[in-house]
Amino acid sequence: MFSFTKKQEILDISGIQIGGQPGLHPTVLFGGVFFKGKPDFDQAETHIQKMLSLSKKTGNPAIPDFFIRKEEYIEDIIHFITQVLPSNHPFSIDITDPAIKIKTLEHLHVKNLLPRTIYNSIHIGITDEERQALKQHTPEMVIIVAFNPKDTSPDGKIEVLENGAHLTNSGLLDIAHKLNIKKTLVDTAALAPGENSGASIAAIPVIKEEYGLPTGCAIHNVVEKSLWLNDMDAARKTVDAGSNINIPLFGGDFAIFGPVENADLVFPLIAWQDILISEYTENYFGISPTETHPRRKLFK
Amino acid sequence: MEHEYYPWGGDFTVCSQRACVAVVLLQIEYTPPSRVAIYGPLKTENIGIEKIAANVISNPHIRYLIVCGDDIRGHRSGSSLVALHKNGIDEQHKIIDAPGAIPYIENLKHEAIERFREQVEVVDMIGVTDKTKITTVIDSYIRKSPPSFGEPYIAIRIKPVARIQLDDKRALHSKIVMDYLGKVKRRGQ
Repeated sequence: MFSFTKKQEILDISGIQIGGQPGLHPTVLFGGVFFKGKPDFDQAETHIQKMLSLSKKTGNPAIPDFFIRKEEYIEDIIHFITQVLPSNHPFSIDITDPAIKIKTLEHLHVKNLLPRTIYNSIHIGITDEERQALKQHTPEMVIIVAFNPKDTSPDGKIEVLENGAHLTNSGLLDIAHKLNIKKTLVDTAALAPGENSGASIAAIPVIKEEYGLPTGCAIHNVVEKSLWLNDMDAARKTVDAGSNINIPLFGGDFAIFGPVENADLVFPLIAWQDILISEYTENYFGISPTETHPRRKLFK
Repeated sequence: MEHEYYPWGGDFTVCSQRACVAVVLLQIEYTPPSRVAIYGPLKTENIGIEKIAANVISNPHIRYLIVCGDDIRGHRSGSSLVALHKNGIDEQHKIIDAPGAIPYIENLKHEAIERFREQVEVVDMIGVTDKTKITTVIDSYIRKSPPSFGEPYIAIRIKPVARIQLDDKRALHSKIVMDYLGKVKRRGQ
């Protein structure tokens, strides 16, 4: 359990605060809303409502992370977002294809949703067209993924943030700055077992001490790629949820925890972990948790 | 080691060691016949492709790489693999003309990439999901029965050189240190 010397930035999106010294704010939890083929909004709504109620109970902010795979679904998914989430609730969009990213930004602009949008994500594959679109329709907050295919260590992750590791013309932080993006989160890019998977966790305190920015990752992806767990169903689910405790334990601020369906396991687990951390950091570093922290909500 | 070949490991199934066909599956639930050498899914356009190239050249009997199924949106891993074979990489280690989001080959030497390009012919069946058709094509290449390419090539993974040698093994990282309570600060501060 850590405390950082570097001043830690606390970023706000629609009233949800991310970042700061460990133990101050509850860990923010991003739950993935995936659609296989044509979106099944009824099922997604049930899972999102469940996540929001767990968030209310524990105090850990919930951010639904919407995957958009096809252009034809953009409008429907955005309409769903406006219907299913409480007004002003933030959300993130997770899109791989740059062309779909650009179209989605246009739609979010038209619907006036950019102030609630967390753009997931900017990485070394950013195209010129994507830069233009981000300049024109700038989301409130952006996740920068510090993936460096050359060097998967924390140093390599810092290299892409700092100077682009010769893969982009400047560092990813500089790119975000030039696009006038004011609020950036850093995702330390969790990789598969055998690919330095532990580095994404080790990089959290390094990046927080280096830049003071809110930092986290999707560590559960490592579990998804641990094929040896395939024939141990019950354990696999536990390990998947449990992997997320590494993030707050190493001082991180947010966890992209995988399918929203897993919220019932992940929220209590992280709330428990946040309480554990808060007790120590308040005792030794004088960091009092905020009113919405699980320690205040659950431990009377 | 579990297999004589395929030192880079990964998510794959090994079948006939001396067969000439390897099959790359893109978002398709399909089990190729056991007459092939190896098959498995491809997901990422960087590390995934590196593993395929490194594993394929470790088995000189593999002369055809059949890439089938639907390419992954955004990542375009299958098309990036085809581009690697066709064009190689540029000075920045980017696969030339690859359509994927982050198509960089950083852990394989040029020599290994060239060996991959020479050893195998890539059969581009991206977009084909008809299993019978895929099996027919696989069999047609197996029947060609080409000779082995020669000696196995065991690609060494390029490792970044450690930047700083630390005497203090208690440190978390070369950039930061932590006192016994858990206070983190920059090294040297």
